[in-house]
Amino acid sequence: MFKIIILAVTALCAMAVYALPKETPPPGGEPKKFVLPSRRTFTLENGLAVTLVPFGSTPKVAVELVLAVGNINENEDQVWLADLTGMMLEEGTTSLGSEQIAEKIAGMGGQLDIGVGPDQTTVMADVLAEFGSEAVRIIADVVRNPLLPTSEIERLKNDLIRRASIQRSRAQSQALEKYREVLYGNHPYGRVFPSENILQSFTLQDVKNFYGENFGAARARLYVAGVFDQKSMEASIRESFSGWESGPAATANIPSPESKREVHLVNRPGAVQSTIYMGLPTIGPRHEDWLELNVTNFLLGGMFASRITANIREDKGYTYSPRSSISVRYGDAYWAETADVTTEVTGEALKEIFYEIDRLQGEPPSAEELQGVQNYAAGRFVLQNSDRGGIIGMLAYLDLHGLPVSYLENYTANVMKITPEQVQAAARNYIRDTEMTIVVVGDSAAIAEQISRFGPVVQ
Amino acid sequence: MIGSILQAGKPLLVVAFGTAAMLAACSGGGGGKTGGFTVPVEYHKLANGLKVVLSEDHTVPTVTVAVYYNIGFRIEPRERTGFAHLFEHMMFQGSENLGKMEFVRLIQTNGGTLNGSTRFDFTNYFEIVPSHKLETILWAEADRMSGLAIDQDNLTNQQGVVINEVKVNVLNTPYGGFPWLDMPQYAFKNWYNSHNFYGDLDDIEAADLGDVQSFFDTFYSPNNAALVIAGDLDPAEALELAKKYFGPISAVDLPDKPDLSKPPQTEEQRFSKTDTLASRPALAFAYRVPERMTPEWYAFGILDQILVQGEDSYLHNALVKRSGLTGSVSGGINFALGNKYNYNGPMLWTVSLFHDSETSVDSIMKLVDSEVDRVRDSIVGADELDRALIKLRSGFYDYLEYYSGMGRADLLACFALFDDDPGLINRIEEGFREVTPELLQKTAREYLAPSQRTVLELLPGRELEYR
Repeated sequence: MFKIIILAVTALCAMAVYALPKETPPPGGEPKKFVLPSRRTFTLENGLAVTLVPFGSTPKVAVELVLAVGNINENEDQVWLADLTGMMLEEGTTSLGSEQIAEKIAGMGGQLDIGVGPDQTTVMADVLAEFGSEAVRIIADVVRNPLLPTSEIERLKNDLIRRASIQRSRAQSQALEKYREVLYGNHPYGRVFPSENILQSFTLQDVKNFYGENFGAARARLYVAGVFDQKSMEASIRESFSGWESGPAATANIPSPESKREVHLVNRPGAVQSTIYMGLPTIGPRHEDWLELNVTNFLLGGMFASRITANIREDKGYTYSPRSSISVRYGDAYWAETADVTTEVTGEALKEIFYEIDRLQGEPPSAEELQGVQNYAAGRFVLQNSDRGGIIGMLAYLDLHGLPVSYLENYTANVMKITPEQVQAAARNYIRDTEMTIVVVGDSAAIAEQISRFGPVVQ
Repeated sequence: MIGSILQAGKPLLVVAFGTAAMLAACSGGGGGKTGGFTVPVEYHKLANGLKVVLSEDHTVPTVTVAVYYNIGFRIEPRERTGFAHLFEHMMFQGSENLGKMEFVRLIQTNGGTLNGSTRFDFTNYFEIVPSHKLETILWAEADRMSGLAIDQDNLTNQQGVVINEVKVNVLNTPYGGFPWLDMPQYAFKNWYNSHNFYGDLDDIEAADLGDVQSFFDTFYSPNNAALVIAGDLDPAEALELAKKYFGPISAVDLPDKPDLSKPPQTEEQRFSKTDTLASRPALAFAYRVPERMTPEWYAFGILDQILVQGEDSYLHNALVKRSGLTGSVSGGINFALGNKYNYNGPMLWTVSLFHDSETSVDSIMKLVDSEVDRVRDSIVGADELDRALIKLRSGFYDYLEYYSGMGRADLLACFALFDDDPGLINRIEEGFREVTPELLQKTAREYLAPSQRTVLELLPGRELEYR
């Protein structure tokens, strides 16, 4: 009875508020603390590091082996040899055929996924909880005892040739390829796509050599996250991986990227949009100003409510999906703004992007604007750590860059400490418009003049 | 959030903004509870007709709010192709108490993420926020359900944004509308199912403020919507908040649903289109799916697993592994625009692949036929059926967790909106388990007959031809 009366009063108040110009949002309650899930870490004698993270209630478990092997280990005649090697690992072991592996893992509710990136190769399966230990055994077999059958290599090479051709037909891939080439030259990070000749040249021996030179326990870390029995999981890991040879130690090949204010035009005749990829090398996760740069990036172009997006999308309507980001590899990072803009306003879009960079360099953001971005960064951090894959991704990121766990533990507190002046300083120090490489993929006849005012045009 | 319609060359949807994750995809997803794993479901209906579903889960201190309106692109106005999606963008442009960009800022500066999307039979709006902000978000969603406050500048701006969206996802992209936007246009004959859902650019440009208001007045009402709140919440408190903010909004009279029925198909249809930006040929084929929630539909969900889901599937083994005609084959029910649950009308099961110029469509379809014939000519073995069910169950769990719990909200909203029964989320697996090998074969014979399919070939770089 009492409750009903209170509700009635509330309703009246709500009606009264309509007479006022605007209602303000109710603030909500008190924030709850987000606690990182606990982890158990141990290292086998052969150097394999293992991290176990019991998490969640959904009866599934992710098993992921991350190897410090990738395109970074290729020379200039070997572009995508790491990818071909990853594909060959799926073609069976000395005791199991590839179709048997596929059926076994499907029967656990998962699939063998092998991914190859610039710095890392991942071998993973996400299976029903009761099959976690069995998935570990299969993953160990796949990386330790690959058959590397000669019968499959021509088919896989042809798949890679087709894949390269299709990816290269996309404007965004063309922009990325040019941008990387300009920044990194002949370093592996500068070689996004191989020529068909390179792919054709690969032999089974190349794959065997690449495997022998780069795979082993010393370069690997195993992550398990989800619902599993810790004891039997650990036993399975020790049994499956203890006999694995340490193999070659990890190598480092840190690039020295370069950038200067130039416009690189890639002609795409008749294109109805211009694809912009612009930026410069910047600091990475180990740098003391890293979090400042991250928050600065969110505010400038890295979230929907950011300045560049508000300007060229929500005010001008030049584009659908503008975005800035910091792209990170081992010992290396660059900042970039990307956007596909209507051809006729290519120059205008570039003008507005530079306007927003200059504005932030010239004046610190208001405390209120920064507070909103800090909240966004903190909320996003929780969402990133809210599932098995996200947790493994975050831990693997720490391990790749040699960051302590305190990076995660203190992330929110450190983000909240950042001041408006630090954001302005980060924009000045690390998003230097005077040194930006600007790549534009578009209709040369329609845009060459528009873009010439932003720097010397290189075709 | 704010994903582009086409991500990573895979599943796509029609969403308002562009950047990170997409919600659609996941052709996986099958059985519900097993071994004691149950999704908590509380179902209420407010006096104004709003369906409210609550699902408590305290794993992470976040809460997902999703509002689903029972209006998809299928039944948008005839002279306004693409309008349902354009309208979705307008819902972010301003309401009674929140001006342009204020809704987006409210969510993001409170540490949340948001997006919206337009599909065959619904348009959704959702936020994932720190759980102590639940009330703030419910207030904001109720505010825009109460009414829009937008002007011509807002509309002109979003027409520009949407036209750029169509350009980046279709017109300036190789394989842009293939096969997700193309296939329904070739396979279906009823306009509602077969028009260009993204919209002809002329139609998008022709829309005016009158269209926006009339669309809102017709379809955006509490009695045509479902509200899902999932995650770190107290159900009693969440229900009170839902009542407080959504309760005062009035119901409206809804129009009758148009006739979506499809004329029967009597023979295979073949089409080819040319994509001047593409570098390799591609092929897609589609069959019509049995009516949703019928025994045959459950059987079809299992056939999908056996034929195309995963590296143990028949088509993967035949087309990728044994013949090397393609590097991968992908497909599913409601392929690339959703999953097998989140639609409500005629639907296709579509499969697509890239191949090389030396390979003819006939040679590929011959291999497809020999695989499809395996489920039509013989009874599927018990171990294969078990494996299909395991894949379904595992995919279903993945979807429940997908996108910080948005997958769970998606299923609850669709089961409430289309079936008036969100508890189906915990009983759906039973339906798949009840499928007998005989029903599988019967369903395959009827629905996977060559006469029931449409084959669409994409030719790189030549003029459009029809055959």
